[in-house]
Amino acid sequence: MAEPAKTILDPVVLARLATLKLRVRAVAEGVLTGLHRSPHHGQSVEFAEHKEYTPGDEIRHIDWKAYGKFDKYYVKRFEQETNLRAWLLVDASGSMGYRGKDDRLTKLEYASALAGTLAYLLVRQQDAAGLAVFSGSIVRSISPRAEPSHVTAIVETLEGLAAGGETRLGSAVDFLVERAQRRSGVFVFSDLMDGDERILKLVAELRKRKHEVTLFHVLDPAEIEFPFDDPTLFLSMEDERTVEARGRDVKKGYLELLRRWLEETRRFAAEADLEYVLARTDTPLDEVLVPFLARRERSAA
Amino acid sequence: MSPALLWGLLAAAIPIVIHLFFRRRPKPTPFPAIDFILKARQETRRRLRLKRILLFLARTSLLAAAALAIARPRLVAPEAKAAQGPVGPAAVAIVLDASASMGYRIGARALFDRAKADAIDVLTGLGSEEPATVVVCGGPAVPQADPPSFDKAELRRRLSEAELTHGHADLTSCTGAAVRALAESAAGQALRRKLYVATDLTAVSWRLDAPAPVVTTPAGPVRPEVTLLDAARGEPLPNTWLSNLAADPDPSVGPRGYRITATANGQMAEPMKDAALSLKVGEGREERIAIKSFIEIPRSGSTKKTLTHDFAVGGPAVLSVSLPGDAYPEDNSLFLTLNVPREVKALVVDGAPSPVRQRDAAFYVEAALAGPSSPVRPAVVDLDGLGKVRLADYDVIFLLNVRSLGEKAQELVDFVERGGGLFLAMGDEVDPDRYELELKRLLPAPLHVVKTASERGDHAAARFAEVEWEHPALSVFTGPAREGLESVRTFRYMLLKPERKDSASRVLVRYDDGSPALVEARRGQGRVMLFTSTLDREWSDWTIRTSFLPAMQRLAAWLAGGLEERRDWPTPVGAPRTIPAPEGVSVVGLVGPDGRERKVDPGPGRSGSLSVIPDAPGLWQVRVVRNGGKEALDPSLAFAVWPDPRESDMRRLEPSELTAWFGGESHARVAGDRPVGEGRQIPLWSWLLVVAVAAFLAEGLLVV
Repeated sequence: MAEPAKTILDPVVLARLATLKLRVRAVAEGVLTGLHRSPHHGQSVEFAEHKEYTPGDEIRHIDWKAYGKFDKYYVKRFEQETNLRAWLLVDASGSMGYRGKDDRLTKLEYASALAGTLAYLLVRQQDAAGLAVFSGSIVRSISPRAEPSHVTAIVETLEGLAAGGETRLGSAVDFLVERAQRRSGVFVFSDLMDGDERILKLVAELRKRKHEVTLFHVLDPAEIEFPFDDPTLFLSMEDERTVEARGRDVKKGYLELLRRWLEETRRFAAEADLEYVLARTDTPLDEVLVPFLARRERSAA
Repeated sequence: MSPALLWGLLAAAIPIVIHLFFRRRPKPTPFPAIDFILKARQETRRRLRLKRILLFLARTSLLAAAALAIARPRLVAPEAKAAQGPVGPAAVAIVLDASASMGYRIGARALFDRAKADAIDVLTGLGSEEPATVVVCGGPAVPQADPPSFDKAELRRRLSEAELTHGHADLTSCTGAAVRALAESAAGQALRRKLYVATDLTAVSWRLDAPAPVVTTPAGPVRPEVTLLDAARGEPLPNTWLSNLAADPDPSVGPRGYRITATANGQMAEPMKDAALSLKVGEGREERIAIKSFIEIPRSGSTKKTLTHDFAVGGPAVLSVSLPGDAYPEDNSLFLTLNVPREVKALVVDGAPSPVRQRDAAFYVEAALAGPSSPVRPAVVDLDGLGKVRLADYDVIFLLNVRSLGEKAQELVDFVERGGGLFLAMGDEVDPDRYELELKRLLPAPLHVVKTASERGDHAAARFAEVEWEHPALSVFTGPAREGLESVRTFRYMLLKPERKDSASRVLVRYDDGSPALVEARRGQGRVMLFTSTLDREWSDWTIRTSFLPAMQRLAAWLAGGLEERRDWPTPVGAPRTIPAPEGVSVVGLVGPDGRERKVDPGPGRSGSLSVIPDAPGLWQVRVVRNGGKEALDPSLAFAVWPDPRESDMRRLEPSELTAWFGGESHARVAGDRPVGEGRQIPLWSWLLVVAVAAFLAEGLLVV
């Protein structure tokens, strides 16, 4: 029997939820149910609490005075003075408006749900979350803040997005280089279908500036599997180009090109120390987020 | 090739029409990764174009090849390629198959007429420097071939006058003779050797296990160039025929009843149901249909049909069984001649009448002879009545326990010597001395004394021990039926004196002590039979045995000359037939089934058997002269001639089998229905079907 949280996190089910707010709430609750511990503990000089020592804890944080009093090891825990600043870069280009089936979320809706959920989770643990929506240029932006009401603003912004225009991730990178002076977490939600082949190099620039960059590569299953056989007139979603082809004739070549592209993207991300997450829009959102957050927790620990 | 079917080639245009007019419109679909599609199409464009062209070609080829194959086209190859040989004049031998099977008709024309026309065409096409010889092959004669000559007019006349025979043709021998004539020809030494065989290609005419004929030259054996002129033009020759006809007496049918069994054969594509089978009796104008029946003839094999018929009168008879007419009518009828037992008039002379019927020998004899299916009509008289009877009115006389014939003795002797039959049975009244005095010339052996083997009821009674079972009168006793004779007990019987040297008598049955029981002798033209015991129950119990009735009837018929002494088997056409001529009878002619008379020369004053070779199947009549009188047909000498069964087998040789026997395609070929000299035709439709199948498979692979 499927768990209720799993059921509601299915993209098909989420697609029926009218507003992004509800989607974000549903996803965030599901994710939190899946996580047993707080994903992040800040580092700060200000004491927060004691915790009984368990193997794996830093020895230097053992409170020796407390040991003298209670003859037990306690570890001091500190509250970070300033929490993580995170930027959510959401691609709202025309290609993000695609969905292979009507009962599925568009790539933009899926990316928005992911971004909103992350914003909720970040703010909930005292991190600051900001938003930058881009297509050909920056469409909307919200500076990072750690207030709970800030999440509402982010979600409402995401909810009001409409896909359109071409993809220019470079404009978002430029924006971030200019606005994010201190080390930040950068979450990119895009299909990476940018005319500029240097797009990943630009993103890698952010990493060189000490930002922690995560790429959520959002793709529809139809883009990955190419379920076309009959003669079809393919229309570009970002410009006026059209291609007439019989699906079965170009399928093999298309899938080969896509495979090579995904492989190169993944390899480049690994080489540039970017975290890469392939997000198929038919994958339940928690299945994307929970492993990602768990990885982050392990790396933080 | 069927040109009308070439309209099917229009089907090849279907792929073009579909491409031009029924092309599906592509469905507009927004898609993000259009760059990949563009690149993929760019990379596969050339391959796709090639694939599309190949697919179009495959579909067009599939339809075009199938349409062409239905039209069954043939490729005509130049004749020179079919039978290679040096160019130049040739010495030619033409073998014309004149066997009976060439009488098979396709349409209104017999195969023999076609073959003759083919042979004349070949002869006409020869150059003036080409010598030729002709062999007409058929019948029992050993095939002879004259050396090739330049007298084309004579050869043409021989071919034109050649007649169809009713016999078998051994084409292996005939072609051998023809090739030998080519080899021995001085005129043809420097020429090529060509052999033309005009035949129906029936397999029975060839012995392919024998070596093929070769021309012996100083340089070694050379195979002739052989052309087979197929008179049937490749057509199958279905046939139905009768292969056997037998008639056996069947008393259950009537006094002259016969059970007639015909064996019908088929060689056809489908079995023939309800084929009419008719039995005719009589000949000439008296011929009439006795029975019409139906028979199912199998597709390949034989079946038997039994009919029964009771002849109204005895004597020589003719019957025939016929199947419906077909393309080869010669083997659809078979004749059979019979000697139907005549009605025998018997006079039973009761020498010792008794008011108690069981003690009266005449009672038993009359009862046995007068059975419903018996051909004998008995009349009983005592000695007093015998004087009023004219013996010549009867065929056979039974003297049962007669003391003395008195004045009738001489009449009896004359009666027997003129062909009458006499049966003598003993008894208390018989006086050996008186018999010796009155009937000495007729008795098979002199009577001696009566011997008592045992008293009645004594198990030591004499029994029949040695029996001439093959005798026509006793041959009906076969198997368990013989017990009916062997179980007869005889208490008393007359011993016979040793036979006279000139008596020509024959003991048919002896008792177990070796004494004669039944003795036969021929006296003049008549026959005498002596039974040494009684035909009542005084001396013997034969009269109450199962063998008594058939034995009496058979003995009466035998003595009256009404039994066949020899079964008259039909003669196959072309086989010698001996015509037995009775004494005083001269055979002067034969009348064949066609009604044509063939004269024979019996020689001055000559009588006796004559050997002839009938050359046609059917009923043959024999014309005789009796005692210097007028010529007349003798029905008793008529005989049936059956067609050669080998000629009914119309299974044809595969032409390739025969050309291979002659040395393969380089030496032999079949002209078939084409004029000699025209090219060889190669069927193309099978190759077109292969192309269609290949195109179909290719289309399937390309579509995937």
